[in-house]
Amino acid sequence: MLRNLSIRDFRCFTRFDLDFDPGITCIVGGNALGKTSLLEAVVILTRLQSPRTNSLAPVIRTGAKGLVVDGMVDNRHMQFDYSPKRRKLALDSVEQKDAHEYLQVARAVFFANTDIDLVRGTGEERRRFLDFLGSQFFRDYRNILRSYDKALRSRNAYLKMTPARPREVAAYTKPLIDLGQQLTELRGSLVRRLEPKAIAAFNLIGERDEQFGLEYHCGSSADFQAALAASAEEEARLRTTLVGPHRDDLLLQLSGQPAAIYASEGQQRTMAIALKVSHARLLESEFGRSPLLLLDDVFGELDIGRRNRLFATLPAGGQRIITTTSLAWLHDVPAGRLYGIKDDGARGRVLDVISPR
Amino acid sequence: MRKVEYPPPLQELIRQLHRMPGIGPRSAERIALWMIQAPNSRPGEISDAISRCTKTVLSCRDCGFFAEGELCTICNDPSRDRSVLCVVEQPTDILPLERTGAFRGIYHALGGKLSPLNHVGPEDLRFDSLLQRIKQAAPQELILALGADVEGEATASYLSQLLAGMPLRITRLAQGLPAGLSLESADDLTISRAFTGRTEVGRS
Ligand SMILES: [Zn+2]
Repeated sequence: MLRNLSIRDFRCFTRFDLDFDPGITCIVGGNALGKTSLLEAVVILTRLQSPRTNSLAPVIRTGAKGLVVDGMVDNRHMQFDYSPKRRKLALDSVEQKDAHEYLQVARAVFFANTDIDLVRGTGEERRRFLDFLGSQFFRDYRNILRSYDKALRSRNAYLKMTPARPREVAAYTKPLIDLGQQLTELRGSLVRRLEPKAIAAFNLIGERDEQFGLEYHCGSSADFQAALAASAEEEARLRTTLVGPHRDDLLLQLSGQPAAIYASEGQQRTMAIALKVSHARLLESEFGRSPLLLLDDVFGELDIGRRNRLFATLPAGGQRIITTTSLAWLHDVPAGRLYGIKDDGARGRVLDVISPR
Repeated sequence: MRKVEYPPPLQELIRQLHRMPGIGPRSAERIALWMIQAPNSRPGEISDAISRCTKTVLSCRDCGFFAEGELCTICNDPSRDRSVLCVVEQPTDILPLERTGAFRGIYHALGGKLSPLNHVGPEDLRFDSLLQRIKQAAPQELILALGADVEGEATASYLSQLLAGMPLRITRLAQGLPAGLSLESADDLTISRAFTGRTEVGRS
């Protein structure tokens, strides 16, 4: 469990410290006070990536050189210093050469009030979802993904050069195919494991008379090499790699129809939540304990029935950190710690401990 | 009151030391003070060693390793097996390979790897001199001992295209070099094993 968090030069915070309850911690406050940033900081501390952006540079407070996130998870002291020039990981004050051991300490699921974009948005949203989960599920996922991305960007850089550089493009084709096939295999296996859990969560939270389906859609044909060869002509014209895992998608369906078009807003919201619940459930069943459950202002959109059923479908015993703008539903949630956050002028953002007194 | 600093020559020494890799401002200050204060620091010898080294240590004409003359000790050694040529990324990759004693052939350092994201293209690497050496010395086997990361893979793939059709066997070190790490950080045993278990690169 996450005991505390300290952040420096993180988004709007110069410096901020916070303790957590082993059960439920709730942070209440108006918009634009940085509640989401606090949950984001928990994700960056534990997973070294933001659920909101691909790069960490925008997370650094304007005017600062770099950010620090620091916290205790169980009995491990985790610390991550990041600046565009330097990144440093430390576990129990020992600097880590690579992230493998560090990333074993804690896993997390981030429920955002923008999760409906998983259903309505572009494939990029769904790839980000799969990658965030995959990096926590498979030990090698993160390295394979990063290497694939590097191979892709390198290959595209050569495709854009004039005069054409067919030899250099071909040199990067081989690693692109090798890594792409590994990534496809991992993502396919991930979706197969996720599907029954997502369907179960959808049925529990939402309406039972509709059927939720999800399917991995490969961004090339099953034979990546052949698909790449087949796209060569168009690739030369458009000067970018057109097929591959960077075009993967997760097809979401409601009773056999594309959910982005046919599902109602309520159903889309339920699907998005079901995906996040299945994310939590999959990590729970694989690692024998619930990941950290970070819920960012998700209750406002849900009626009381769905809200209670969401709570019931989350892994029991998982530590929950919840932000909200409204206290209206708080009597339903037995928060061990309840904080109010407000802007106190010169002192910046400050926390009020509402309970326990 | 004027702010007191070290005298300018000492400030200059600290500034010069601080330019070196891995030396922060504190370390630079500590080293500078040691040089001028410690009885056994012998700064003249340090200064001589630096100028001698920068004047006499050059890149070997053939393989790119460090050499005192035109050729390095490896290329000058008549007992080395010239039928096997081992291609590495950096001249600094050669010593770890030498230490294992697993290889008795000669080397060729490319000076980097194909990396468009870092603006390193084939023209920046010693491919031309490699082709020349192959034509002149006609080795039977070329071992690609490049890093197992994306750029190392791409460089190996580029080389096998470049050398396709030449009458020589191209092999790669067996899997076992840690992915994304250069030879510099692999241990002796891993390297020896990688050498003995090398595999032929498919001709494409
Ligand atoms: Zn030499």
